[in-house]
Amino acid sequence: MPVVTLDLTRLQKLVGKATKAKIIDALPFLGLDIEEQTDQYIRVEYSPNRPDYATDVGIAAGLQGLLGIKKGIAKLEIKKQKDKIFTIKTNPAVKKIRPYVLGLIAKDGKLDDEIIRQLIALQEDLHFGVGRKRKKASIGIHDLDTIQLPLLYTVKSKDHKFVPLATDKEMSVTQILETTDTGKEYSTILGNCVNIPIILDSKEDTISFPPIINSALTTVSTTTKNLLVEVTGNDSSAVVDTLSVVASALRGLGFILHDVKTDSKSSADSLKTRTILLDPKLVSQTLGIELSPVQICNMLKKCRLDAMVKGKKISCLIPSYRFDIFGPMDLVEEVALGYGIQNLSTTLPSSVSIGEKNKTTLKLDQLSQILIGLGFTEALNSSLTSKQILYDNTKRDSTKLIEVAESKSQEHTILRDSILPGLLGNLSQNIHEQYPQKLFEIGAVFSNGSPIKESICLACVDAHKDSSYTEIKSILQSLLKTDSNIECQTKTSENSMFSKGKTADIIVNSNKIGIIGELDSGVIENFKIRVPVSGFELVLSDFIL
Amino acid sequence: MSQVLHPIEKTIIKLLQSEKNLTEQQIIEKTKMSVDQIRRGIEWLRLKNLAVVVESEQFFVTLGKNGLAANKDGLPERKLVNLVANAPVPFDDLRKKLLDDMNVAIANAKKNDWITIVKNESGSIVSLKSKPDQTSEEKILDIIGQNKIPQSNIKDVQSLESLKKRPDYIITESVKTKTLSLSEQAKSIDVDAIDSDAIDVEADVPRVYAARTHPLKDTINEIREIFVSLGFSEISGNLAQPGFWNFDALFTPQDHPAREMQDTFYIKDKLASNFASKSQIKQVSASHKKGWKYPWNVDVAKKMVLRTHTTCVTINYLAENKPSESRIFSLGRVFRNEKVSYKHLVEFNQVEGIVVGKNVSLRDLMGIQTQFYKKLGLNKIKFWPTFFPYTEPSLQTMVYNEKLDKWIELFGMGIFRPEVTRPFGITRPVLAWGGGIERIAMLKYGLDDVREFYNNHLSWLRSTPKCQ
Repeated sequence: MPVVTLDLTRLQKLVGKATKAKIIDALPFLGLDIEEQTDQYIRVEYSPNRPDYATDVGIAAGLQGLLGIKKGIAKLEIKKQKDKIFTIKTNPAVKKIRPYVLGLIAKDGKLDDEIIRQLIALQEDLHFGVGRKRKKASIGIHDLDTIQLPLLYTVKSKDHKFVPLATDKEMSVTQILETTDTGKEYSTILGNCVNIPIILDSKEDTISFPPIINSALTTVSTTTKNLLVEVTGNDSSAVVDTLSVVASALRGLGFILHDVKTDSKSSADSLKTRTILLDPKLVSQTLGIELSPVQICNMLKKCRLDAMVKGKKISCLIPSYRFDIFGPMDLVEEVALGYGIQNLSTTLPSSVSIGEKNKTTLKLDQLSQILIGLGFTEALNSSLTSKQILYDNTKRDSTKLIEVAESKSQEHTILRDSILPGLLGNLSQNIHEQYPQKLFEIGAVFSNGSPIKESICLACVDAHKDSSYTEIKSILQSLLKTDSNIECQTKTSENSMFSKGKTADIIVNSNKIGIIGELDSGVIENFKIRVPVSGFELVLSDFIL
Repeated sequence: MSQVLHPIEKTIIKLLQSEKNLTEQQIIEKTKMSVDQIRRGIEWLRLKNLAVVVESEQFFVTLGKNGLAANKDGLPERKLVNLVANAPVPFDDLRKKLLDDMNVAIANAKKNDWITIVKNESGSIVSLKSKPDQTSEEKILDIIGQNKIPQSNIKDVQSLESLKKRPDYIITESVKTKTLSLSEQAKSIDVDAIDSDAIDVEADVPRVYAARTHPLKDTINEIREIFVSLGFSEISGNLAQPGFWNFDALFTPQDHPAREMQDTFYIKDKLASNFASKSQIKQVSASHKKGWKYPWNVDVAKKMVLRTHTTCVTINYLAENKPSESRIFSLGRVFRNEKVSYKHLVEFNQVEGIVVGKNVSLRDLMGIQTQFYKKLGLNKIKFWPTFFPYTEPSLQTMVYNEKLDKWIELFGMGIFRPEVTRPFGITRPVLAWGGGIERIAMLKYGLDDVREFYNNHLSWLRSTPKCQ
């Protein structure tokens, strides 16, 4: 989950009329988890569905609502332009590469280092989340006063040259893609296209190379007063959503917003409010509280939405940046937040029901109890394990192994098809502990099926200087007899894990249900165990579950 | 006091009942037992307060290399007077004979007033004043000779000290002696009357360890019992699931970051078939298209993953059974593709409860939570809003931990989104809540490294009490 650092003094100034303590207490009730707190700063984690909380102005707007300082929509006023200069023209050729573009102009604002830092953080968060690592949408923020409007969103060959952001020398697109960090990271978005998207101004100066990098020409600094924002992408709603969050942040920072027209739509038309009708009954049913429609409207306003009673329903006006709101149920949550979760008392459902464990659980518990009675202690191992333990050390056949893709952990790459190897691994971790060591484990194992078969297996190992086939067979017999009055046979067999002549298949009703034996000395050595080990493994799913 | 005595102890007590004080050496000689046996016996008796051990230190002296030589050939000053006994001898001639002893010889002979030194033009000449008797130092050398004798035997302490100042003349050795006597209590013990069948019931014995369930399993079982006691019935499902049930059915868009390989384990070369009915697939597809506005792809939903939560089991159960009233729970392993650390495992346990009913509400959900935590012994709880992709509204529980003196985040909860339930024809509200079990078990067992649960170290398994 993303994290934002808030300067408390700044935040307090933005919220107005509230003590720092009151602000800190209210933060969790906006859904913000406090990660770290000092006298000056507070770090909060916000949900990925609320990118507007990536800046302190966004959080301040939320706090103002919850604390009753300012309620209702913070209106996004975008001044419509008749002037044709405020446009981004699109070359149709770019539609095949990165089809959507929107723009916005923000004037007469003030930037300082903190605001620039926050804007960059917001941009990164939007790139990652809504933009799906810049694929669906990416943002460029430019110093408007370095640009000659109108703009052209067009294509250029990879030989096209300009000075990219944070450098002072001209580079070709190919060089940028191959040598810069962002170039290398995001070049796959452009695929194998011969041409790449470029935004030029009317002097043919390169403004931006979406979604990779801006031009150095338009670098924003603390002296910048007027901004141009462009959002491009291959998903039209992601482009709109992204721009809406940036627009609301810039509005919160005091900029005056101006419309930019593109071929299809203008930003002012894109960033309009929506209306959702809410049935008050849904609110009372879902939350378990009776609220009048007027009260519900008030709660929604506290969440910076607008609402009014319309007949039996409530008409709710939602700003464009709240694209996390899908339908009425999302508004119910807003009502709950406006009401205050802390103000909801708890109740219990009136229905009566009788609980029960499932049969498998009961059976497995019973088997565990018997094994404990026989002196075996329960071990728990991961079912995602390594080839080393599962096959190499145990000399087992690995041709049918089931593997997961791109595991971050070397020890967890293969799904186990047997429990015994893990238990041998446990014995090898305990060679300095007192013997005898008797362990068992019950758990899922995986084999190829359609597409994967899962079975529940039970395995025991018995390690001490006199451990023998006879002893472990006695344990096996006692277990099955005590559990289900099952008599089992052991039929001579061979298995690479066990000693030759000291291993058998376990047979119940002429079906093989497991294997038993003294572990092969080479296997024991592979696990660096210094005493004889005997053991067995049963596929419970085959005969008992 | 233990009334059991070892045969060695009995022997020593008997001996000391007739002879009051004996040294360790004397006891060894008289009992004809080995040094080790006697030493052990003395230690046992001392620990039982049956014997008093007094340690004393005695010094012994022997002659060193130079002392032995002087005893044979005389002290340097004796050698000197022997050389000048008949006539005065020039200084330089003496030096040639006495070599390194010359300086000491001259100094001591002058100090004793045995010689005079006269200087003339050809050098100094040494002549004898009077033939000296045996000195007290020479007497001591004679007394010691080749033997090792107690220092206390030598009465002329001053001369001994002066000999000790000469290099390697006298070697002093310290010998510690233990003298044993019986305590008042032991003096009256009738050794022969003590029952020889009795054993030392107070002594340490070898440790044995009870076979047991795994401590984490104990917590899992406790949580299972709580669910059952709250009226919930258990359901279960596979660990490997088609992406459809793990993600798509829960309204997680196909390009959501959580679905990437960095977070979720995909099973190589495995695709599900017949994982859902045609209408279920159709409805889920429509829900995604409408809600997320993208072309939903059934092939992505076929990819097999290791379940990232138990919710896939829950939604599958709801879709198949469409209960109008229900309390169910599902508990088991879930997987995340994470780097293993003290706080993250790739595989851990999760539990999830569901209430379906006509009029069930968020307050009911909070009420059931409160009951659940109460049964776990956690009474100080509060609820905060949060976000989960498939519930709306969503809350998280904060539980106050006395040991850590802070609020910690435990289970999450919420009401299933209509986008999740509607495609499966579930019309009544579904309250859902759950979370990781290891987190609770860590608090219970006071662990700060979650990996301990899967290390299976016998030292830990054998020493962790069941009651925490």
